[in-house]
Amino acid sequence: VREVTVSRLLLGLFLCVLLVDSAHAQGWPDSTTSFAGGRVTLGGELTATVSPDDDGKFNYTDYERSALQLIRLGVTINVRPVEGIAFITELRAEGSSDGGSWNGIPVAAYLRVRPWRRHAFDIQAGRIPPVFGVGGRHIYSSDNVLIGYPLAWQYLTVMRPDAIPANADELIYARSYGWQPGYSVGSDGYANGVPLATAFRYDTGVEARVGEETGAVSVAAAFTAGTVSSPGARSSNGGPQFSTRVAVRPATGLILGGSYANGTFIANTVQDTLPASVANGRYAQQTFGADAEYSKGYWLFRSELVSARWTLPVLGAPPIDNPLWATGASAEGRYRLMPGVTLGARFDHLWFNDQSGTYLTLPWDAPVSRIEAGVSWSAMRHVILRASVQHDTRTRGDVKSATLPAAQVTLWF
Amino acid sequence: MAALAAVLPSWPEAAEQTRGAVVRGRVELPRVQVTSERRPVSAELGEGPERDAGEWRRAIVYFETAPKGAFEDREAGRARMDQRNETFVPHLLAITVGTTVDFPNNDRTYHNVFSLSKGQRFDLGRYGVGHSKAVRFDHPGVVRVFCDIHSHMNAFILVFNHRFFNITDPDGSYEIDGVPPGTYTLVAWIEGAIRDTKSVTVGADQRVVEADFPLK
Repeated sequence: VREVTVSRLLLGLFLCVLLVDSAHAQGWPDSTTSFAGGRVTLGGELTATVSPDDDGKFNYTDYERSALQLIRLGVTINVRPVEGIAFITELRAEGSSDGGSWNGIPVAAYLRVRPWRRHAFDIQAGRIPPVFGVGGRHIYSSDNVLIGYPLAWQYLTVMRPDAIPANADELIYARSYGWQPGYSVGSDGYANGVPLATAFRYDTGVEARVGEETGAVSVAAAFTAGTVSSPGARSSNGGPQFSTRVAVRPATGLILGGSYANGTFIANTVQDTLPASVANGRYAQQTFGADAEYSKGYWLFRSELVSARWTLPVLGAPPIDNPLWATGASAEGRYRLMPGVTLGARFDHLWFNDQSGTYLTLPWDAPVSRIEAGVSWSAMRHVILRASVQHDTRTRGDVKSATLPAAQVTLWF
Repeated sequence: MAALAAVLPSWPEAAEQTRGAVVRGRVELPRVQVTSERRPVSAELGEGPERDAGEWRRAIVYFETAPKGAFEDREAGRARMDQRNETFVPHLLAITVGTTVDFPNNDRTYHNVFSLSKGQRFDLGRYGVGHSKAVRFDHPGVVRVFCDIHSHMNAFILVFNHRFFNITDPDGSYEIDGVPPGTYTLVAWIEGAIRDTKSVTVGADQRVVEADFPLK
């Protein structure tokens, strides 16, 4: 009930701002919505996506929602009481165009401090955006032509922080069921696995950045409670994650980035059940990332590599051969065909290293490929319509391939 | 010859008639700055580059109905809308049909100037510092200009098919000269909306006509 109320409140706030702003500007507002001499600014985005059922769960972002059927409403508020200090909050409500429940959460809620006005050094503390990679910061539809997300940032693998397989057979058996794997150690029952890094939730902690987004070099580092694949409001294991990203801009329009993250992965609820021989081990997720973007004229290219390395306790035979690697790579291109109309396409692949079970040696999760092409059209500046077709293939599962058309409308201010 | 001299006005008189009257006054501007704040985004890892606040609002005052013959009196020229500090400078530009506007990028970062306005849809693509692209405006109307990369950047270009318009000074004062005798509708326009209209009559002997637009 609370989540539905939050969602309704958010929708009400979104519509009120639009109405007030529209009335003030005698039309759709073109400037940033602001109050108190610019000390309070507001931004919002309402996105509704429809698509046929994704029976293969290729686009699921958790146990019950597909990214291709998502309705998302986000409102971001930036309050700057004095120069150099800002409070940034983003409230987000998500539901599915296919029905089901809604949730409303403060995705971001953090304090930003710039201690020296003339120096590009910022500290952010609270529920902060991910330092690692770029995919987690490109989730908004106003920054995308395509409707789907890169696999590394969305596709649910069979890895879970709250339940682990007792041996390699159990792990291999779960392959391709990332939306609901179940294991014998840790939490009972089925729950969704994690992507290599998530684009849908922020972590809690402290981050510092030197250098500006438009500068030649910028370096950011953070200590957070969760991991890139399983961030949260509080740590499930007491072990912090360190993450960092370095970005360089060697030429106009070219951005190159490298990222690294290392954090304890499995939850205390699992660790507490482990036998004494392995109970004191550190079972972590290390993640490596590389990204590149180049744009010029009507073209933009983006590519990202995310490689995660999990270590799990070895409990029984056949033993899990640590570490468990998963690597996702994507390449995307866009072209502005005419004012307001952009074409885009992305190729994406996710692969896993082999594990030896009793009878078979197989990748520990089923490799997946995705190709997606689409078009976006802004008839008005604040309204974006998109259509895309996605083709997914997987080496295993009840559904080994799917072709999914999708349509999306976005209103933003 | 003497008869002809009686019919034709003397040279100074002819020049005065050609020059016409000056319509001037003041538009009382709302004491609000142009909102040029960045749109808040929660995904940023820090503050954006430092930038100045937007300029004070200005208005455009123009004749809704131009004097006869005004449409033939057009000069297709060249104008400039700069991109500086993540802001279009000027925020408000008034030109006549046929004018070509240059959009130089004098900022520290990429920009992508575009417009989805019905009269003039264009997209200049991404170009870097030190480069410039131009658009010729061939249709009268209001053209909203934006940057595809920086959503807070916005500007207005008003394209007229006559020359009887002017942008106010920061204090709201304006002057439109060379107005021939007649009765006209004068319009004060601010930030995408017509603020007020006023009927003004320029007499044959008048040199100056005052028309103020108080804040309503």
